[in-house]
Amino acid sequence: MKVLRSSALRLSIGYTCLGLAALALFAAPLWYAWRVTIEDSRIEILQADAQRLADVFQREGPEGLRGFLAARVGMQIANERLLLFTDPQLRPLAGNLSAWPANVPVAPGNYTLKLILDGEPATVVLVHDELAHGYHLLVGRDIAFYVPLERRFWYALIGAVAILCSLGTLGGILIRRALMARIHTVRRMVSAIMQGDLAHRLPMREVGDELDTLSQSINRMLTQIEQLVHGVRNVSNAIAHDLRTPLAELRARLEELSLTRPAAEVTFAEIDAAVADVDRVISIFNALLRLAEIDSGMRRSGFVTVDLAEVAAAAVDFYQPAAELKGSHLLLVRSGPASVQGDPVLLAQALSNLIDNALKFTPADGHIVVSVTRGADGGVLLSVADSGPGIPDADRGKVVGRFYRGDASRGTPGVGLGLSLVEAIARLHGSRLELTDNHPGLRACMALGQDTRPIERPVVPAAPQHGELQHEPVYP
Amino acid sequence: MKVLLIEDNERVAQFVLKGLTESGHTADHAANGRDGMFLAASEPYDAIVLDRMLPGDIDGLAIVEALRKAGKRTPILILSALSEVDERIRGLRAGGDDYLTKPFAFGELLARLDALTRRAQAEAVQTRLEVADLRMDLLARKVMRGERDIVLQPREFKLLEYLMRHANQVVTRTMLLENVWDYHFDPQTNLIDVHISKLRQKIDADFERPLLRTVRNAGYTLSSHD
Repeated sequence: MKVLRSSALRLSIGYTCLGLAALALFAAPLWYAWRVTIEDSRIEILQADAQRLADVFQREGPEGLRGFLAARVGMQIANERLLLFTDPQLRPLAGNLSAWPANVPVAPGNYTLKLILDGEPATVVLVHDELAHGYHLLVGRDIAFYVPLERRFWYALIGAVAILCSLGTLGGILIRRALMARIHTVRRMVSAIMQGDLAHRLPMREVGDELDTLSQSINRMLTQIEQLVHGVRNVSNAIAHDLRTPLAELRARLEELSLTRPAAEVTFAEIDAAVADVDRVISIFNALLRLAEIDSGMRRSGFVTVDLAEVAAAAVDFYQPAAELKGSHLLLVRSGPASVQGDPVLLAQALSNLIDNALKFTPADGHIVVSVTRGADGGVLLSVADSGPGIPDADRGKVVGRFYRGDASRGTPGVGLGLSLVEAIARLHGSRLELTDNHPGLRACMALGQDTRPIERPVVPAAPQHGELQHEPVYP
Repeated sequence: MKVLLIEDNERVAQFVLKGLTESGHTADHAANGRDGMFLAASEPYDAIVLDRMLPGDIDGLAIVEALRKAGKRTPILILSALSEVDERIRGLRAGGDDYLTKPFAFGELLARLDALTRRAQAEAVQTRLEVADLRMDLLARKVMRGERDIVLQPREFKLLEYLMRHANQVVTRTMLLENVWDYHFDPQTNLIDVHISKLRQKIDADFERPLLRTVRNAGYTLSSHD
């Protein structure tokens, strides 16, 4: 039953059942009230009638009532009233019943029972009154009079049920058709995407309904996937490029050694150089593994309270000799402890990368200011500002991409992963690496600790390819 | 010293065994967890070097845990291709004493092994350190060479303390980064050399016999003899 598996149809069947239940809930008390009221009023009328006849009996005696009844039976429409007046031995004296019905008890009261009237079975309501001197009076009515009314009620009810059911089914089919049409579109798009065309997006209608919300989420997910794939592709290219260079050098060195067989001293020097080449390859690998590790978000489990001011002090202390050697000034600005939740090793690495970068690009006699300040919101602002050449506005998005090396950095050591590592670390800590102009120079800063909510999923920023614009990472 | 190497990769094993033998140590080799476990439990060793991932049903961590449970205190250095911090922590938590990621330089391995075995020998609390005529008072935080006071920055003090505690051993740059600066990552700089040369300025510059020496392709050593 494929049709029954359609959620739209199931929904409409459910709604129809709900409608039916509501109708039943509505009709049942109505039916009950109607029955009771009609029955009561029926008996009341009969009782009033019986009372009137009893009055006649009291005023004029048995003969008077007999005459009255005979006259009335002659006047009334057939079956309008069942009347019987008997003596104490239940022998009929007057009325339109030929004999005392066998199933009517002799005690006075109201009864609803079946009788044979004119050879036809009928349901009647009877009021039995015992008059003075043991005379009996029966006043009744054939219920058949009310049957058409009841039947109309039932017809109306059945009609309502039928309309409800058919409307429900029709609605279900229509909803299913509308839904299936849109789901088919989504499915077509998704299979196109699965075949590798990641640029496709699900169509959006302006109405903003549930399906649109879903499409929107899927589109966001697609954007992320596209960026990730893009990132991976770029990283692969970059790895291929950056590893190929030292590997090529290494290969050339070894091949030349093998071919020329130089003197032992030269050979050893070449082997040392070869080991250095391998070390370079390993350090690129390690940096990449580290990035992958950070991006996976696993490190968040190791978060502890870290005093950033201490981390900064240690880093400044570590880099101070390098600054002195270069003749630039490395300063630390701090205002008391600045605790945040984080990974101490990674935060130290981020800071060390930023200071290392700043040192690389700051000319002699330049200034590098590392500052750790508490923000008004209780967070900690960590920044490293230098007085170097800075990064042109257009390149700022690119530098955090993997293996990006600005023109200014050509010829300086480094694998081009530093800032993307810092960016990944910032992201892991729910922050972002922001690069601004320091007039002159570059100011790299991250705001940490004011939002402890971890980002759901880290997004690898795609390194731009062939001058394409950098996508901003999208956070859900 | 007598070292047990549990390593399944033949090339790496030969490389380490050769290095250990050339440095004057004796070494046994087990190529799988079962043999390694047997040797480690039955023979006395000064140190055990084992690979984290071994063929067969007994892996490196299982050996470490079993040895520790059996009360063996032999220093253990874990070798692994898994560098993620969680893996490192897992290895140390299982009872390993140090963790070295593959690929590694033999100098690094040897220096760490030396540090491990010395640590096992002398764990006593020291308040004074002495190497040749260089003396360090850990309580007063004073350093003297001969009759001369040497004024050191706090970090220089810590660096020298580490070198003095490991006097006559090779100390690698990574060991210094990890133990003096608590930096468990590679800062990709030669800054350790700069720190060492600054320290050398203070303790060696005006003296005839230099104590702090560079060991090529390995690191540094603070030696009391020529």
